[in-house]
Amino acid sequence: MPREKYKDKIEGLYKQVDTYNLVENLETCLACGKCVGNCPVASLNPSYNPRQIISDVLSGDGDRWLDSEEIWRCFWCAGCATVCPNDIQFPLLMMQLRYRAVENNYGLKYIMPFKRFALRAREDGLTFAPSEKGREKIKRYRSNLGVSPWPEISDRAKAEYKELFDLTGATEYLNNTSDESEKPVTFKYTEGRIISE
Amino acid sequence: MNEQRVVAPEELIPEVPESIFLFRSCTGSMEYPGTENAIKEVMNKLGVNIVMDPDQTCCSGYLLTCSAYKPEVSLAVTARNLAIVEKQNLDTYVFCNGCYGYNRELTHIMKHNPAYMQMANDVIAKQGYKYEGKTEIHHVQELWYRLKDEIAAKVVKPLQGLKVGVHYGCHYLAQQYHILDDGGYPTFHEDIIEAIGGTPVFYKERQLCCGYSVGRGITHKEATVQPHLYKKFKSAKEAGVELMTTTCPGCNVGLDREQPNLAKRYAEEFNIPVIDLSQLISIALGVPVRKLGFEANTVPLDGIINRLGLERGESSL
Amino acid sequence: MNDKVETALVVGGGLAGMEAALKIGQAGYKVVLVEKQPVLGGVLGQLYSSFPRWEDPQALLNNKLEQIKQCPQIMVLTGMLVAAARREANVYCVDLQGTNQGDKRQIKVDAAVLATGFELFDASVYGEYGYGIYPNVVNSLEFEAKLKEWGSGHSQQLPPQSVAFFKCVGSRDRSKGKPYCSKICCMYTAKQAGIVKDMFPEAKAYVFYMDYRAAGKDYEEFTRSVIETKHVRYVRGRPSKVLPENGKLIVRAEDTLMGVPIEVEVDMIVLAAAIIPSAGTKELALMFGAVTDEYGFLEHEIFNPVKAGDRVFFAGACGFAVETQGAQYQGAAAAAEVIGLFNRVEQGGD
Repeated sequence: MPREKYKDKIEGLYKQVDTYNLVENLETCLACGKCVGNCPVASLNPSYNPRQIISDVLSGDGDRWLDSEEIWRCFWCAGCATVCPNDIQFPLLMMQLRYRAVENNYGLKYIMPFKRFALRAREDGLTFAPSEKGREKIKRYRSNLGVSPWPEISDRAKAEYKELFDLTGATEYLNNTSDESEKPVTFKYTEGRIISE
Repeated sequence: MNEQRVVAPEELIPEVPESIFLFRSCTGSMEYPGTENAIKEVMNKLGVNIVMDPDQTCCSGYLLTCSAYKPEVSLAVTARNLAIVEKQNLDTYVFCNGCYGYNRELTHIMKHNPAYMQMANDVIAKQGYKYEGKTEIHHVQELWYRLKDEIAAKVVKPLQGLKVGVHYGCHYLAQQYHILDDGGYPTFHEDIIEAIGGTPVFYKERQLCCGYSVGRGITHKEATVQPHLYKKFKSAKEAGVELMTTTCPGCNVGLDREQPNLAKRYAEEFNIPVIDLSQLISIALGVPVRKLGFEANTVPLDGIINRLGLERGESSL
Repeated sequence: MNDKVETALVVGGGLAGMEAALKIGQAGYKVVLVEKQPVLGGVLGQLYSSFPRWEDPQALLNNKLEQIKQCPQIMVLTGMLVAAARREANVYCVDLQGTNQGDKRQIKVDAAVLATGFELFDASVYGEYGYGIYPNVVNSLEFEAKLKEWGSGHSQQLPPQSVAFFKCVGSRDRSKGKPYCSKICCMYTAKQAGIVKDMFPEAKAYVFYMDYRAAGKDYEEFTRSVIETKHVRYVRGRPSKVLPENGKLIVRAEDTLMGVPIEVEVDMIVLAAAIIPSAGTKELALMFGAVTDEYGFLEHEIFNPVKAGDRVFFAGACGFAVETQGAQYQGAAAAAEVIGLFNRVEQGGD
């Protein structure tokens, strides 16, 4: 692995990532590794390492995680935040790392399924409603229970929900999300690492 | 962090409410409608009135987990939903860990960042709503624990020592503050299981995430979620778990629907049915099986129903 | 000069308190040394060994006890504690009470030295470590007692085959514990791990650390010898979880120097829990007009690290975590303050 030049690091990367000011205590990280020990993903993919990602963000290294496969593996289980002695909300940092990646056309294949779900939810007022065949089953099960065949959600709710998507710019953003110019992601944290199968 | 972490149930819910607002869960009402029914049955027996509102929409927190869009819409939707609850002057009771985690996280952001509260209120004001941050976010599992003794007193079909492995899920305990138990070694579900006559099993991977995470279960199912779930079920099976309980329809989907795929991939049958804790409590309180919607479960409940000597009821199972 | 009439009260018969009492008494002043346990010694009496020279703490304790016996100025009251104290002009009126029976006494003293020492933070808030849940998860003082038992040669317990030591349990933790560093745990953990390897050479010993702090004379050499000659394995990573499996305990952590999550199977886990002031320190301080900080440790006046207020001084771990030698230094310094005060009083000052 070539020697990294410290002066190539990005000044102020931390604030460029945490644009929503949700993880203001990142510098309290002791690099103790409690997060990684608890992380279900790290136990399956050792190259995914929340502690190292925090270290990269703090030292201004924007190269490794941006086009990495690793940041798309986090389960958002918040097992890291639960054990962190300084209560660093790592999932909220991960969310924003993913935004930066998507802005640079990385990882779009992991967003596209949710574009479809979100746009359909915008119509239904409910999320993850299945296709026609699935809906028939749901209606049957619900009727057997003696409740309304479809969850009771008012037309007003659906209209207002749709409107909120429009007002906050979500609809436009989702419609424009496309994987046309997608750039590939690869495992970036594997160099110099012990991987045991 | 001066806020208290674990609080006793009497402190979390000082007065048992007469009425609660039951927050509809998308996955709950579609994938496992029996869960919602079970909750209504148990609340009925405990004398708590349930209010729901057709104007309430999806909590939309999943957008945070999958990063499909920025938090603005989730904040606005949360503010709108909770404004609807506040109009009824009730506390919000969710029955999905996901809804719990997202609602608490987003309300925390709004309460501690006035700019975000303002932004959300500006948007929903256009629809005539105002969110004041008054309603408390609770999960029905908190009420089950708060009323554990009342539930125990009303048990008519004790579970005969059924070996139950609980699955806490991640997003309730991950809030860490102002919750019922410690994320390091929670025991309150096991206390409830004992109260209704079951035998709680502390299997090694008891606290492992379900892996579904509203995201990775779709994008990385074969890559990470299946090997991950295999570990969990292997540990449960080795410990002799007969039934698994959840308090999150999302976890229920992850644990229940994936088992046939695991069986195929790893050539190993687990056959551990997964139901909501509320459904298990309902069984113990004598709610007929036909009201619990087990036909929606992928891993059939036949074995458990026979084991407990319950009647199946009219719906096909 | 006539017989010196001033009397000092020393609250706490641990090393710092004994040292203060000795120095004041040997200077010719009267001392009342009050200790709530039935014997003097405090934590020093509970130790099996000491750092950095592996000396027998019992020898140090016996030395102090012998000197106290030889000093007629010191009145030792064990099994007693301070129930109340009032300031009247330049004197404290102190109510003492027996811990078991209702044996009560009232004394008047001209100065007080508080030396009530420390206890360990309750590690059961760390559900992930299982303290109070799994029987073989103990804290460092409980483990020291086990070392004494094994060391006596009369133990019924089977020796462990592998022991894991967790450092910083409750220390350096803003979330569930205390934000401060408890100063002595790195050294005493190295000591305990080294002793395990001496007693049971076939056993494995692991120390899970974030840092190791060896700032003192011979300290670094001591820690290196534990690692290099006694073959204790140091793993850098704060453990995330302890899980039971087949009668053993599984420790999950990350080896941060290699960047790999690991699982280690051990028989016993020792938690170096945070050092907190003994229960009742804050109330005691208030009785004498002293002030404690947000963690309950005694606060000192500006420019004077052993003075807590007018005619009240402190020494030892009730001010902050401190090692054996430091407790002696502080006890002597507090004694010097008292002696100086009494001298000035006699010469017509203060």
